[in-house]
Amino acid sequence: MENLVILKKEDLNDFVMQIARTKKVVAPVKKGVKSFAFEEVTSGERIDLDYTSTILPPKKYFLPQKETIVEYDKSKKKWTPTLYSEEIVLFGVHTCDLFGIQCLDIIFSENPKDFNYILRKNRILIIGLECSNYCDENASCALMDNHNPNGGYDLFFTEIDDRFIIHVNTYHGEKLINKTGLCTKADKRDISELRLLKERKRNVFKNEVDIPYAELKPLFEKSMKSKVWDEIGEKCVSCGNCTNVCPTCYCFDIIDDINLDLNTGTRTRVWDSCQNGSFAEVAGGENFREDRGERQRHRLNRKFNYPVSKFRRYFCTGCGRCTRACVAGIDLKETINSLIEEKKGN
Amino acid sequence: MKAKVAFFDFACCEGCQLQVANIGEALLDVLDKIDVVEFREVMSEKSGGDYDVAVIEGSITTKHAIERIKEIRSIAKVLITIGACASIGGVNGMKNNFELPEIKKYVYGEDEKYFDSVPTMAVDQVVKVDYYVHGCPMYVPEFVTVLKHALMGIPYKAPEKSVCTECKLNENECLFDRGLTCMGPVTRAGCNSWCINNGNICYGCRGMLDDPAKTGQIEILKKHDIPLEWVTNKFNMYNKAKDVKENENE
Repeated sequence: MENLVILKKEDLNDFVMQIARTKKVVAPVKKGVKSFAFEEVTSGERIDLDYTSTILPPKKYFLPQKETIVEYDKSKKKWTPTLYSEEIVLFGVHTCDLFGIQCLDIIFSENPKDFNYILRKNRILIIGLECSNYCDENASCALMDNHNPNGGYDLFFTEIDDRFIIHVNTYHGEKLINKTGLCTKADKRDISELRLLKERKRNVFKNEVDIPYAELKPLFEKSMKSKVWDEIGEKCVSCGNCTNVCPTCYCFDIIDDINLDLNTGTRTRVWDSCQNGSFAEVAGGENFREDRGERQRHRLNRKFNYPVSKFRRYFCTGCGRCTRACVAGIDLKETINSLIEEKKGN
Repeated sequence: MKAKVAFFDFACCEGCQLQVANIGEALLDVLDKIDVVEFREVMSEKSGGDYDVAVIEGSITTKHAIERIKEIRSIAKVLITIGACASIGGVNGMKNNFELPEIKKYVYGEDEKYFDSVPTMAVDQVVKVDYYVHGCPMYVPEFVTVLKHALMGIPYKAPEKSVCTECKLNENECLFDRGLTCMGPVTRAGCNSWCINNGNICYGCRGMLDDPAKTGQIEILKKHDIPLEWVTNKFNMYNKAKDVKENENE
């Protein structure tokens, strides 16, 4: 285990301050009474490592909510593609969100490649953070097998007592560790304690829904005509919270804006949501998913069914954000359970 | 040639016109494109001629106002309403919670007979409106957007999403989770969740969504144990005028 190093907890503040001198550091901080968000920090003080889940996932740094992709000048007939990116160190990403970023990588690396995404992503260094316990009852990370790290990071922090055991996974990660000069090599005791934690986690994280991982796709395939969709369609108010907070939802709209001179302007890419009534509306007024239930069915099939056919992986991370963010109380685990129950009944 | 633009006010606090005067630097760009020919809030000149664009603040609350707005409409090529009062009736609509004679007596006492008053209406309950800038006060970026659309002669529609959509994108903690009652789920977006960003609740000043998903909304109230009357009371603060039927005040 050559690539394990130790950082004392008391040195975390120094560690962050050192990095923040030359790079933008973003980390989970408290927001409101019981919520959290990834925000820029300049020291370790505001960072909350006991955070449950942030309101928006880290995708906001990879795929900004509003991104100018073209600037134009009508009179000069000029059309200039633009890219905005900055060097960011993303600190404290849970394993579910690491998986989410990997999903986005797959999507935007497909042909035609999305260079804006790829170039931006290349300048973001990712530091993961191990969960030793559930963040809350809404998570289903064990069902999706995302409670343990599975790559997708430069450094990975595991908190044990008075220290962090850090897995150094990339050259960039190693450079960062060396530059701070605060870390020491892990010894045998550290490694055995890390092993103990992993074992303990096996008893903490258990599949939250009564269905094996591999059976999820067939369940959704067979549930296209389920009544469950009508039921959640009745509850849904189409606010789009579930897709906005989803780490793997990437649908976007393109908007052309003109400045007040009515000559120059910008083309921007903004987050869109399949839950908006007009999302699947086409010229002539035909709407392929007019019904709220159809839209919810579509959303979940884009997590548990279609991507498995296309990319051989589920696009649900199990983070639980869609459940937490739903004002109307549509619950992912409840929905899956209802589908299971319905199948049993048939 | 610059577009001739005139501002008019009806029953309102003139706060939205103040927002126009307060635009800041972008106002110079705005004035580059338009010729303001009437604007009582900021200038004393009057043109009295034909207008390319008439910008209306305030709701219609008297018979005289009905005549006046019809007159303006007849000489304006394009009509824009700014703010909740003009666009949906706004706080003046609270008058409609009472019987008209009763509330007139309450406000004017014995002199009630000298005052001409009709149930409060939004401008579009009297004449055709081409563009709406919602909000109390109106949201300035939306005013600029609408102005650009009007100058280019293309339609503008406020987002068909609820305030919740924008609120979540701003990463605000949901107020329902804090035990507060917020009008976000039923209110039309487009303000970038201005109030919630600044620590307030949403009061529904931009009016109700075209399709608010009634069963879902009731589900939300049930989930958070909120009586329906609370919400209707709160919502009526800005939205009562829309209860007035067409031609009721003619």
